[in-house]
Amino acid sequence: MADHKNHAGHAEEHFREKHLMLDPLPRGQMNDMVMESMHTTSWKFWVVFAILSAIVGYGLFYSWGTMIAEGLGIAGVNRPSYWGIFLVNTVFWIGISHAGTFISAILRVFKAEFRRPFTRAAELMTTFGLVQAGFSVFMHMGRVWLAYWLMPYANQRMLWPNLHSPLTWDLLAITTYLLSSTMYLFLPLIPDLAMARDRSTGWRKTFYKTLALGFRGTEGEWAHLRNAMNIFAFAIIPVMFSVHTIVSWDFAAATRPGWNSSIFGPYFVVGALHSGMGAVIMVLAVVRATMKHMKYFIRPEHFDAIAKLMLIISMAWAYFFFNDYMVQWYGGDKWTHQLLHFHEAGPLGWMWFAMLIFNIAIPWAVLWNQKWRSTPWIVFIVGFFINIGMWFERYIIVPISLSINRMPFTWRMYEPGVEIPLGIGTLAFFILLYMGASKLIPLIPVWEVEEGQMAHELKKFGRETVVSVSELE
Amino acid sequence: MADNISGNENSGSVSLLAVFPDLGPAADAIEKLRDLGLSDDQMNVISGIPATEAMLGRPNQWTNVPRLAAGGAVLGFFGGAFLTFVSPFLYPVPIQVGTQGIVPGPPTVVVLFELTMLGMLLSTFLGVFLDSYFPNYRPMEYVKEISDGKIAVFFICPGENCEKFTKAMTALGAEKVEAAEVFHL
Repeated sequence: MADHKNHAGHAEEHFREKHLMLDPLPRGQMNDMVMESMHTTSWKFWVVFAILSAIVGYGLFYSWGTMIAEGLGIAGVNRPSYWGIFLVNTVFWIGISHAGTFISAILRVFKAEFRRPFTRAAELMTTFGLVQAGFSVFMHMGRVWLAYWLMPYANQRMLWPNLHSPLTWDLLAITTYLLSSTMYLFLPLIPDLAMARDRSTGWRKTFYKTLALGFRGTEGEWAHLRNAMNIFAFAIIPVMFSVHTIVSWDFAAATRPGWNSSIFGPYFVVGALHSGMGAVIMVLAVVRATMKHMKYFIRPEHFDAIAKLMLIISMAWAYFFFNDYMVQWYGGDKWTHQLLHFHEAGPLGWMWFAMLIFNIAIPWAVLWNQKWRSTPWIVFIVGFFINIGMWFERYIIVPISLSINRMPFTWRMYEPGVEIPLGIGTLAFFILLYMGASKLIPLIPVWEVEEGQMAHELKKFGRETVVSVSELE
Repeated sequence: MADNISGNENSGSVSLLAVFPDLGPAADAIEKLRDLGLSDDQMNVISGIPATEAMLGRPNQWTNVPRLAAGGAVLGFFGGAFLTFVSPFLYPVPIQVGTQGIVPGPPTVVVLFELTMLGMLLSTFLGVFLDSYFPNYRPMEYVKEISDGKIAVFFICPGENCEKFTKAMTALGAEKVEAAEVFHL
């Protein structure tokens, strides 16, 4: 009898250690932990911050300024690859941005409880990723000061944008997604900004006070927020799907070998989720390792859950890739065969094989194992490889596929120029924005964590102890 | 439901605040206040988590957010309709793209969808601001313990009976019962 009691006690302790939702701390203590994580900054942070600032200064602003002054000629885009790394990066960053919505909205709709501590960390990636995507498109534009020509109003010559063009749909879709994901980031942040306001002094107090908008937590304020978050969670999902589908139509709507595919929409969406989930797990591993108290909030169970999703998405990506490849290969079109052969055996064939290894072989080899899935540094490495693999995929789709076409006399390999520092600049700017936000914005939605902890309890069925979740909403 | 309640000094009524450690005692306190003769309009609950009306035993909160969202969607749809159905005819010579009509079917669906969603989500966001009177930097009744997970019940008690209310709240587990103070948040 005593043994059974001991066993039950150990089981409960094991559950509490393992699951954040079963290991509650007083709300005040959790607030203090989150505030301390924002206020504690080591010298290493500033060193990395300075290095990234220098990279952004050179890679993004100086290089872009040079390109504006000298023209697109210093970039590598030229016949036949008029689309190069700028558009590779655009697709890549839009892909990264999908993870935030996926985690925050889809998992909220399906009431996946493990999402609670890291929804905000993922949502921040959406907003900051879209900023880089916007930069990359503007770089591609060349004459960036004329970007307003895209806006849907008549210009000086009474010309309206051509709404038949997927590029105009891109503008509408990306603008809708950027605005809605930023609003969706902000709404659940308001209660945490109010918490930070109550615990701050000086300039931080003014900052949080301004952003908290006077939120107190009245019944009315919560009711309005709850309603709005529900609407956003449902409505932003089709917007997310539409964005990457429309991005895929930039390619698929052209009658080019390799591009003209009816499966490109879902293939791109799954690819976006693949790289996005990989990026989320990398960010969480870094946040957990470098920020104070984050080991309490972000636990191996969260890596395990995200890694399972990564494995499923990797399988879905493999399915779509093979589906697309199979149909193109079977079609027997001469130029398509030429292109497929060029992908695999051309000068950059190693990239095609690396793409398959990084996106399929590595995730499948590692993520089947629960212990490995729950180990932050292992899933960080897998996430890193997936992102490299997905960047390669976009590189293969854009400049490599453009290198050969139906007019062999124009064939020429794409050689990037200023695109390289600009691409590195956007990556550095993304990390820089994230680092800055981690010191200004509570990365953990404490009220959502507390709500989840209230809903979870351990229940006994016979001699077994199981986790039980109540539906509070 | 009034988000702000305040006592009327002329009539001798006072706005009190009772802070509870948990939802259960706060819900009991609300019921007790009703028993003592207060109506739901004379009380308000402030909490650090989204406690639902059912949890607190309170009437449903009226919110315009879904209606505003629907209104925004309609506006967005008409915006999209203007772009797709009207703007092509604003050219001196409408543009013909391939074999597509001047108002092409599938692209019209795309534009209508994006602008409808944009209208809906923007108005949902603005709806929270309008319904909650955000931003609001005026001094308001508040206690900082709320963001630490406490539940505060504000209520108006007629001046002569305040002691009775205070005792009732304390008996139900209130950590403190005091006159509500206003703060610059």
